[in-house]
Amino acid sequence: MTILRVTQASVILALVIVTALAFDFTNGFHDTANAMATTIATGALKPKTAVALSGVLNLVGAFLSVQVALTVTNAVVKIQNSDGTPKESLTANGGEAMLLIILAGLAGGIVWNLLTWLLGLPSSSSHALFGGLIGATVAGLGWAGVKWNGDGTKLDGVVGKVLLPAVVSPVIAGLVAVVGTWVIFKITVGIAARYAQRGFKWGQIGSASLVSLAHGTNDAQKTMGVITLALLASGHWTSTSSIPFWVKVACAVAIALGTYLGGWRIIRTLGKGLVDIAPAQGMAAQSASAAVILASSHLGFALSTTHVATGSVLGSGVGRPGAEVRWRVAGRMVSAWLITLPAAGLVGALLWYAGDTIGGLAGAIVVFALLVVAAAGMWLRSRRVRVDQHNVNDDWDAVVAPAEVAAPVTVAS
Amino acid sequence: MNNLGFALDGAWRVLLAGIALGAGLPILFTLGLRSLAWSASGPVPRPAGRVAGYTLFAIVVLGVLLGITFIVATGFGKALSFEHIYPTIVPKH
Repeated sequence: MTILRVTQASVILALVIVTALAFDFTNGFHDTANAMATTIATGALKPKTAVALSGVLNLVGAFLSVQVALTVTNAVVKIQNSDGTPKESLTANGGEAMLLIILAGLAGGIVWNLLTWLLGLPSSSSHALFGGLIGATVAGLGWAGVKWNGDGTKLDGVVGKVLLPAVVSPVIAGLVAVVGTWVIFKITVGIAARYAQRGFKWGQIGSASLVSLAHGTNDAQKTMGVITLALLASGHWTSTSSIPFWVKVACAVAIALGTYLGGWRIIRTLGKGLVDIAPAQGMAAQSASAAVILASSHLGFALSTTHVATGSVLGSGVGRPGAEVRWRVAGRMVSAWLITLPAAGLVGALLWYAGDTIGGLAGAIVVFALLVVAAAGMWLRSRRVRVDQHNVNDDWDAVVAPAEVAAPVTVAS
Repeated sequence: MNNLGFALDGAWRVLLAGIALGAGLPILFTLGLRSLAWSASGPVPRPAGRVAGYTLFAIVVLGVLLGITFIVATGFGKALSFEHIYPTIVPKH
């Protein structure tokens, strides 16, 4: 019986690891746009070159994460102790209780990431992950399992780590981009085209590269932390000061491959949908993103890359004289941000109930199977109106302006 | 202090740093381009424009290197400290 239990837990653990890497992969292609949408839209880099560069830098960034915080879930839920070890109440039977919460939470995050990708909406992958984990935790441990506010000593909890930064970050990035774009357009009036073109091309590549590198160090870490937590819960790992090397390699490769795949639908919305981007504007937007992401992370006020990048692109549209901002597209994005946390949470909670009702290994397999079905369904739907490196830069209003159209059949980018 | 207080406190600093680096550096870069263009636009080359242009580019490159240093330091569990004005790498507290 004991041996059977152990084997069961190992299979569940394997499902959790595969799901975590799948989440990391969606995290990659969901966020390619944050670094590269403007660079692709202005033609500074060819679409494939841009995603390849971003993928490599994400890979390098992920390997730079030498010190990985194992306490990633502590910001929003109470399933770990402060040193990163899992709560003892969840580690019985090879950690089945913990593994089911993580599995359902990750699956909730993936489903929401895929749905927003299908609709071409940039939404925060960290919010999707946190939302899924919160939902699964509420289902598994009740509302008391969620850390809504911190203890008042630092920015913490769902409010402090997720909600407030989400409101504040697009505004900050937007303001920085408005200032940068406005001044740069004043300076460049009358500058010889050959200087402007070459200069802004390199300015964009440099700033987009910084964003990619920072993304790799930040985001791959989260999945590394989650997988290591699963290993700790099931007793396959004991150290809280290091993570297994294979976890690091697997996460780094997953996020880099995801980035290289390129979430073309999201790149199109961010690069073409919000505003039409001129090279100088692209550089201003991307520099604003890089500076705000790095400064906030330095000051311990971690912001979502997606919200920052979107705010920067919008700001660069406001700051450039004569540019038209499509506020309807922006409105759709903001609505997506608002429902990301509850929507991913709902999926996470439902999947947890499904897994718990069936129970044990069969429950985990059902959760995984439901995830695969949902993912396959959305992928098939995406084939109806394809967006790839060949049509990513097509005029927004001309043929397909999908994010403007409400009917889901024509939703494409 | 509550979460809102911490957030607003952090937001101000991020905004200031963001404007200084995120708007300031690309503006310097553009001024550099402008200087280069100016140095080549007259009937005779104006070396002062080239010098000014490349000086501005050098400042921007330093800013980018600061960014890379920060990313790498963070990955190694370190932080950047500006207590000596110039950045130094310190253990994260």
